[in-house]
Amino acid sequence: METVVHMGEAQVSSTPGDTLACIGLGSCIGLTLVDRRRGIAGLAHVMLPACTQPDPPLPHKYADLAVPSLLGLMLATGARRSRLEAVLAGGAAMFQFSGGSGQEIGQRNIAAVTRMVEAARIPIRAAETGGHNGRTLRVHVGADISITVREAGGREQQLLGGPAGRAGTDSKVVYA
Amino acid sequence: MNALTDMQLDALRELANIGSGNAGTALSSMLGKAVDISVPTAAALPLAEAVAIAGAPEELRHGVVVPVVGDFEAIVLLLFPDPDARALCRIYGIEPSTPDGRSMLGEVGNILGTNYINVLAQMVGMVIEPTPPQVVEDMLGAILSSVLLGRGDDVDEALILDSNLMVEGEQCSLSFLLLSDRGGIKQLLERLGL
Repeated sequence: METVVHMGEAQVSSTPGDTLACIGLGSCIGLTLVDRRRGIAGLAHVMLPACTQPDPPLPHKYADLAVPSLLGLMLATGARRSRLEAVLAGGAAMFQFSGGSGQEIGQRNIAAVTRMVEAARIPIRAAETGGHNGRTLRVHVGADISITVREAGGREQQLLGGPAGRAGTDSKVVYA
Repeated sequence: MNALTDMQLDALRELANIGSGNAGTALSSMLGKAVDISVPTAAALPLAEAVAIAGAPEELRHGVVVPVVGDFEAIVLLLFPDPDARALCRIYGIEPSTPDGRSMLGEVGNILGTNYINVLAQMVGMVIEPTPPQVVEDMLGAILSSVLLGRGDDVDEALILDSNLMVEGEQCSLSFLLLSDRGGIKQLLERLGL
C-alpha cells in the first residue's frame, strides 16, 4: 500500500510491501530514516528550517523538530539507533523571489535538515537535493529497503538499496 | 484561524469573479478569441489540501507565477496542463518548452495578473502591483508548495481563489489562482469591512 506523506506529516512503516511517498517536493525536503536490518523506514515531509511557535500542530513541518521526532518514531517502532541511516531529497529552488531573508528557502531547508541529522550522528547515505526541479521520493519497505527519486520529467532513480539486493551501492550523492 | 464565514467567502468569490472577468477580457483581446470563465471558487485551506484542490501533485504543469507586492501580499499563479499550454502556444506557432513559449506564457500571466490585480486594488482601495512573471514547468505539488513557502514564512493555510478560463475553439483551459496567507486574507477582509 502506498501512503502519501503530506506536507508537515511523517509516517513510519515496517510492513513489507508498503511504500511511503512524498509527491511533488519543491523547496520541501523528504527526509527518510531507515533501519535496513529490521526493515523499518520513516519518512517526513519537511517544509521549513525552524519552528518559531510553541507547540505547533505539525511538528514535522520544521527541520529542527522533524529530525528528533522522526527519530523517536523510528525507535518506538523497534529500530536500533546505531543502525539508522538517512536519505534526503528536495530543496529545489524553483523560483527567484526578490526580497526575503537572503538565502533561498530550499537551500535553508537542506542546510537545516543536514545539520540536524548530523547532530543526531546519523549517516546520510544519499542526498538528491538542490537544483531547480521538483521531485517525488518513494521508500519501498521490505527486507531490502529501497529508496527512489524521480525529477519532474525525468526517470526513477535509485538512491538506496535496490531490487537485486544491491544494498550499499548507493548510487548518487549530490550535495548542492 | 477561525474558519471564514459564508459571507466572507461569498465576498472573496465575488472579488475573484470580477477580477477574472477583467483578466478574461484582457486575454480575449490579446488572443483575438472568445474566453469563457467559470464561476470561481474561494476557499481557505490547509496547505496540503490547497495543493490537492489544484489536481494530482505529480502531474506536469506549466506555471506562471506573478508575485504581488504592496498593501496586500499575494501570488497570482496560472497553471496550464501540458496539452493546454501547447494549444495556447500553437495560436502563435510556438512550443511551450522553448524560450519563445515561456516568454509567451509569461506574457499571458503578466496580462491576466495585472488586470486581475488592478481591479482588486480598485475595489478594496489598496496599492498593489504585480512583479515580473516567472515561468516554470514542473510537478503541480512542487510548484504550489514552493510558491506558498517561497519567502520562508510559516504558512499554515492558503486562501485560494480559483477560476478556470477556456479559450474557445482552442480547447485550452487554465487555472487562475490567487494565493495568499493568513495575514493577507485578514487584510483583504478588513478592507471589505467583513
